[in-house]
Amino acid sequence: MALTAALKAEFDKLCTKYPHRRAGLIPALHRCQEELGGWISPETITDCAEYFELEPVEVYSVASFYPMFFLSPVGQHVVSVCRNISCDLRGASEITNAARQHTGAACGESSEDGRFYLEEVECQGACTSAPMMVVDGKYHEDLEPADVARILGEIQ
Amino acid sequence: MTKIIVNGREVEADPQKPLIAACHDHGEHVPHYCYHPGLSVVGSCRICQVEVKQGEMPARVVAACRTPVAEGMVVNTESQGAHDSRRECLEFLLKNHPLDCPICDKAGECTLQDYSFQEAQAEGRTSEPRRTLEKRKDLGDVILLDQERCILCSRCVRFMDEVPKSPQLCISGRGSDSVVETWQDAPLTGNYQGNLADVCPVGALTLKDFRFQARVWNLTRVPSTCSECSRGCSISVEVLRDGEVKRMRPRPNEDVNGYWMCDHGRFSEGELNRSDRMGPAAMRNDAGELNQADPDDALRVVRNLLSIQSNALFLASPYLTLEEGEALSQLARSCSTQAAFFSPAANDLGDDVLHTGDPCPNRRGLQDAGLKPMDSEAWAAASASADCVILVGERLLDMLGEEALDGLPSAQRLVVMECRTSNHPAVDVALGVPNRVERSGTWINVDGTAGAIRAARSAPQGVRTIVDLLANLTSASSQPEEALSS
Amino acid sequence: MAHETYLLDRSKLANSHTLEVARADGAYAALRKVFESSMSPESVVEEVKKSGLRGRGGAGFPTGLKWSFMPNHESDSRTRYMALNADESEPGTCKDRILMREDPHCLIEGCLIAAFAMRLDAVYIYVRGEYRLPYDRMQSALDEAREAGIVGDNILGSGYSCEIHMHKGAGAYICGEETGLMESLEGKRGHPRPKPPFPAGFGLWGQPTTVNNVESIFNVPFILARGADWFRTMGTETSPGNFLCGISGHVERPGVYEVPLGMSARAIVEDLAGGVWKGRSLKAWFPGGSSTGVLPADMLDTSMDHDSVKAAGSMFGTGAMIILDETASVVRSALILARFYEHESCGQCSQCREGTEWQEQIINRLLSGRGKSGDVELLVDLSNGMFPGKTICALSDAAAIPVLAAIKHFRGEFEACISSPEEVLA
Repeated sequence: MALTAALKAEFDKLCTKYPHRRAGLIPALHRCQEELGGWISPETITDCAEYFELEPVEVYSVASFYPMFFLSPVGQHVVSVCRNISCDLRGASEITNAARQHTGAACGESSEDGRFYLEEVECQGACTSAPMMVVDGKYHEDLEPADVARILGEIQ
Repeated sequence: MTKIIVNGREVEADPQKPLIAACHDHGEHVPHYCYHPGLSVVGSCRICQVEVKQGEMPARVVAACRTPVAEGMVVNTESQGAHDSRRECLEFLLKNHPLDCPICDKAGECTLQDYSFQEAQAEGRTSEPRRTLEKRKDLGDVILLDQERCILCSRCVRFMDEVPKSPQLCISGRGSDSVVETWQDAPLTGNYQGNLADVCPVGALTLKDFRFQARVWNLTRVPSTCSECSRGCSISVEVLRDGEVKRMRPRPNEDVNGYWMCDHGRFSEGELNRSDRMGPAAMRNDAGELNQADPDDALRVVRNLLSIQSNALFLASPYLTLEEGEALSQLARSCSTQAAFFSPAANDLGDDVLHTGDPCPNRRGLQDAGLKPMDSEAWAAASASADCVILVGERLLDMLGEEALDGLPSAQRLVVMECRTSNHPAVDVALGVPNRVERSGTWINVDGTAGAIRAARSAPQGVRTIVDLLANLTSASSQPEEALSS
Repeated sequence: MAHETYLLDRSKLANSHTLEVARADGAYAALRKVFESSMSPESVVEEVKKSGLRGRGGAGFPTGLKWSFMPNHESDSRTRYMALNADESEPGTCKDRILMREDPHCLIEGCLIAAFAMRLDAVYIYVRGEYRLPYDRMQSALDEAREAGIVGDNILGSGYSCEIHMHKGAGAYICGEETGLMESLEGKRGHPRPKPPFPAGFGLWGQPTTVNNVESIFNVPFILARGADWFRTMGTETSPGNFLCGISGHVERPGVYEVPLGMSARAIVEDLAGGVWKGRSLKAWFPGGSSTGVLPADMLDTSMDHDSVKAAGSMFGTGAMIILDETASVVRSALILARFYEHESCGQCSQCREGTEWQEQIINRLLSGRGKSGDVELLVDLSNGMFPGKTICALSDAAAIPVLAAIKHFRGEFEACISSPEEVLA
C-alpha cells in the first residue's frame, strides 16, 4: 500500500470540497507525486483507484493525460525549460543547452547520477520575463545562460 | 414525434434521439464512427457531417450525432459542404492509418474503406511517416488489438464501461500520442469481449477466433437465434461457401438483446462444425454391428417398435423448436404418453446483461408444446423402466453423457435421432437430423418472445428434418406392420 | 501616457495580497455596497451587462450576457456553480498570474459578487498546476476571508452564503477550454464537451455553471463600486474598460501593462515597451496570444480592441502581444506553435489530432531542408480542413489560424525553405 494514512486523511478532507469525490483525484495525484517518490507508480495508481472507487485503468487514463504527472521514475530534481514562442524569441534554446550541459541529462531524460530530470515544456505563463525555467516547482525568470549553472549549482 | 425534412422528405423524428438516429431510422445514410445507437454519444470522430437549415438561419454543416432534432428542421445529408467535410475528415484519418487492407480481417465490412470509396477519398497527400505502435497486442483469449489501425473513436472504451459495466479499456496519453490499452496490458475478462470486434469500425480490435479465417464477402449471412441460453439473442450465422460456420454475430433486436451477444454464445460455432456427423440412418444387425441403413427402413423398424411397446419414453433435446416439439408431443400422445425434454441444470453464466444462466433456448416453447421438463435424475428413473427410449435432437447424447446409456436395461430398445454419431452398444436405430443452422423453426425465449432459427447451410446429404421423421412415425403408429426380419 | 488605472493599483502596495492591506485599500467595499444597497441579484447582472465588460480569457464574450444565461432559479432548482478559469496557458499570456499573486482579495470579491448575482452555491477556482505561488496566495487569502466571515456562511452578515474552493490542474492547455476545464475539475481527462448543451444548462456535474476568466471577474468589484457608466469612460464603445496587456518577445521592456482597450498597438510597443529591442525593426506581431495569428509590421497602428483587431484580420484574444524583429524566422515561430498545438490537442477530433501532427511534420521538414514542392499549398489546405467550427472545441481553429496567417503574410519565407534549403539549414 503506497498511500499512507496521512495522505488518506488529507484526501478525506480534500474530497469534502466537492459533491462527487472523484473531483479530488487530480489534486490527490499531485500529493502522491510529491510524497511518494516524485512519480505516479503503478502502486499509487491502484491505491488511488481503490480510494476513489475507480478501476486502475480509469486512474491510469486520467494520470497519463496530464503533462505534470510522471508515470515513470524521474531524477530527484525536475528542471523544466519553456520552449514556447516568447521564450524562444529571447533565447530559450541557449537555456536548454546550458541545462543539458550542467545536468548531463538529455531532454526528456534523467541524468545518469539520478540527480536531475530535464524536460522542455510548453508556455508556463512567464512570457514577459522570458526566458525561464522551473526547478522543483519554482520559477526562475529573466535568465541568462550563465544563470543556469548558478541556480542548479545551488541545489543541495 | 417531431416533424423534420430529410433530403426533401418529411419524416417523423424521435426528439429523444439525435438527428443521426432520425436519418438512419428513415434509411438516409450518414457516415459515423464514434456514434453507436447502443452507446453514449461523444461526437468526436467528426465524420457525421450533414447540412442543416433551421428557419431563417443560414444553412450550416453540423455533426448529426450532436444535433437535436427541431420542428421544421431541413436536413440535407448529401450537400456539397457535408461531403467536403467528410472527405477532409477521412484524409486526416487515413494519414496515420496503415494500408493493411490486404491482411486485415475487417476488409469488406470496414467503414473506413466504405466511406473512403463513397467520398472519393482515393489518394491521400501525406508523405509523412505513419505512427508505429503495437500491431498484435494480445488482450486475452478473445481479442487482438492493432493500435496502428485504431482511429480513436472510443467505442470500445464506452462499450466496456456501459454494457458489461466493467471498465477495462482506456485511451491513455493525449492528442496524437493517444492509444487504446488495458491497465498494465492485462488481458480482458468477462463474457462480452467479442462485441468489441463488432463495435470497432476498423480492424483495430479483431477476434482471435476469426483471424484470417475468411474474407467476409465469401460468407453467407443468415438471420437466426442464439442457442446457448434462454435469452435467445438475435444473431446472424455466417457460413463459408455452404461449409463451416465461420462466425456468429449479434443482430440488433431492441426487444431481446439490443446490439449485443455474449461470448459463450458467439463462440459456440465449433460444435456446429464437428466432423462426426450422423448419416441419414443406421441400424444394429444381429451381429451387433451398427450399419448404414435406408431411412425408410429404419423408420419402419421404429414404427413397429412403437406399436408393440407399452412404455415408450420420448426425450427431446432442449434445442428442439416449437414446431418439432408439437410434432413430438403428437407422436407421444398417439403412443399414450407425454413427451419430455431434457432440462439442463442452470449454469453460473447468468448475469444482469444478457445471459440467463439457463442453457435451454426453448424451455417455454417446449413446455407450451406439451413436453414436460426432465432433468438428469428424472431421466435416470424414467429410462430405467421404459421399454423403448426415443432420443430426439442435437447435442442430447453429449448432455446426457454416454455413460447415461450404460445402465439402460438390455431388453430396452433405444432409438437415437441425433446430429453426431454414437457407437454406444445400446443404440438400436440411429437417424441423422439437421443441427440448428441447418433447419428452420421457432424458439420461445425466457420472456416469451419468439425467435426464429433459419437454415444457413444444407444438412448432410440424405438427412431428413425432425418434423418429417416424427410425422412419418405418427401417421402410421396406430397400425402395426409386419416386423422386418432383423 | 496618462490614462486612468485601477486593475494594478492595489498590487503596487507592499503585502497587497494580505487581507489587512487589501481591506485598508478598499477590498470588499463593493460587495458590502451591493448588500447594503439591497441590490437584487438580477440588478447586479444588469449592471455588469450595462458596463459592456467583455471576457478577458480570449473569446471576448460579453460577461453580463454570459451571466444571464444561468437558468431562472425559480424554475430550475439545481445546484449552481461558477468555475473560475485560472488555467492561463495561452502562449504569451501571463496576466492572471499577477492578479492572483498580488491581489487575491479583489478576485475573491469579484467571485462573491458574481456568485451573488447568479445565485451560486459554490465557486471553484481552477488554477493551472504550475502556478504554485499564485495558488498558495489565493488559498491564504481565502483562509483569511473565511475567518473574517467574508466567505462561507452568511457573508458579511448578508444572509447570503457561498463557498469558494481552490482546485489545482496538472498542465494541459486544453483544460483552459471551458468544458475541458469542467471535465478536468470533475477528475477526468480534460476532453472538451460538444456544445450544446452549454455550461449554463449542463455544467459541472451536469449542474448550471458559468465559466469566467480571472481578469474578467477581477473587473467586477470596480464596476459595482464605481458604476457601469464609470467603466464605460475607459476603452472603446464596444470594448470598454482597461486590460492587462502582456507584451513579450523582441522588445526592450517586456512586461504586463494596464492600458485602456483601444490603445494603439504601436503606442504599447513604442511608448510602454521601449520599442523593438536592439535597435531593430519590427517584422511581425501577434496581437492577443499565439492563437490569434500573426500580423505584419505595417499593421502596427491597429487599435488593441476586439473589433479593430478583428477588422485587421486577427483577434484580440488575451491581449498578449508577441513581437518578432527583423531577424526572427516566421517559419520557426510557426513550427514552435505547431508543436505546441500538437502537444496540447486532447485527441478527440480527427481533424485536430491528425492535423496538428501533420502541420508540425511539414513545417519541421521545411526547416530541416526537406521541404517539397507543394508543401505550402498542402499546409494551407490541411489547415483549412481544421476549421472553422468543424471540431468539438476551438483548439483546432487555434492551431489552423497561426499557420494560415503566417503563410498569408510571409509566404515567401515558407517558399524559400523549399527553393533554398541550404540557406535554411545555415
